[in-house]
Amino acid sequence: MSHQNFESQLDAYLDGELAAADARELEAHVAQCQECRRFRDGRLALRAAIKQRVPAFQASGALRQRVWAAVRKRRTPMPWRSLAVAASLAVVALGSWQLALRRSSGQALADQVFTSHIRSLIPGHLTDVLSSDQHTVKPWFNGKLDYSPPVYDFTGRGYPLIGGRLDYVGDRSVAALVYSRRQHFISVFLWPAARGSTGAPATQTRQGYHLQRWTTADYAYWVVSDLGWSELEPFVQLLQQAEATR
Amino acid sequence: MLRHLDAAYTLARYLTRNEHDAEDVVQDAYLRALKYFRGFRGDEEGSARAWLLAIVRNTAYSWRRRHRADTLGTQFDEELHSDSVAGEHPEATLLKGVAEESLTRALDHLPPEFREVIVLRELNGLSYKEISDVAGVPVGTVMSRLSRARQRLKDALCVEEEC
Repeated sequence: MSHQNFESQLDAYLDGELAAADARELEAHVAQCQECRRFRDGRLALRAAIKQRVPAFQASGALRQRVWAAVRKRRTPMPWRSLAVAASLAVVALGSWQLALRRSSGQALADQVFTSHIRSLIPGHLTDVLSSDQHTVKPWFNGKLDYSPPVYDFTGRGYPLIGGRLDYVGDRSVAALVYSRRQHFISVFLWPAARGSTGAPATQTRQGYHLQRWTTADYAYWVVSDLGWSELEPFVQLLQQAEATR
Repeated sequence: MLRHLDAAYTLARYLTRNEHDAEDVVQDAYLRALKYFRGFRGDEEGSARAWLLAIVRNTAYSWRRRHRADTLGTQFDEELHSDSVAGEHPEATLLKGVAEESLTRALDHLPPEFREVIVLRELNGLSYKEISDVAGVPVGTVMSRLSRARQRLKDALCVEEEC
């Protein structure tokens, strides 16, 4: 390997983007080239400096609101767009219905919960009531559902409440509460426990989304997120503890 | 797509170098994204992010063309802008001029084509393939731009810290 090649390849190597064979060749070259090691150390120092001193920014709450508002506003004056969305939802609904015929009802519920969560990530669909205040979110469901879902705020534990929305799962309207963890969202679907006890597995994973469900004396809980299990499980425990001490 | 809002804002912020313009760019980009959402066929989360960031990037570039506020708004030239610190190059003087400034300032003084690869890689954590999708250049170009951009930052850092 020529020295010039080395300089252009070292960054790719440190980025983990160099093919294995090239990486081995580069390591061999570094081992016997002092100048290269100095160059590499300079690059490592630069990376550390960038990490330490060049900030990634967080969108302000105001921008978050503006984006939501703009996206909502954009949709309303265009009936053809709503029609198109309605048509595609009808296809989804038809698809789900056919699936329901083929699969056990439990698995169909899991399908719907996954789909609802993924659809909620389209801008403007995440929440109907946007508030980190549990005392705002809970009453919002009054008159929309025949039960009043318990809402908790886990901000202090690193899972802030984002809001809630009305969703439709298993042939009825249900409450979906939205929590966040860093840039990830968690949907918590819950409905009265008497109905819909299922044969679906307690945990499952699909397309990178994890689902965990359980049933308390009062409610069936279905929790979906793209968070890894290591961060989703502590959230589930928080929820179960809060529910147990309610 | 809202989960990528911070990444979108970070990219816009570094491309516009201004808080308010970045917010306008992001809002505009999300509207465009929504408009073309049904045309988007990617099914992986990573490709959705790259797709959205590409829209943010293009929006920021048209914003720049409209406002011409960029002091380094010269046409980007792969070769011309490739020398790290050529003595006679005006930007080399510029980099030396930021000796007392922070690394962020040095990044702000890079041409946007260099700035964006650093932001996408170092701050947003995109793969070379994703960056190539966002910037609309081959992976090989991403690799060389990143390397050159880092060399420029390293030079600035060295001026600053006398290494």
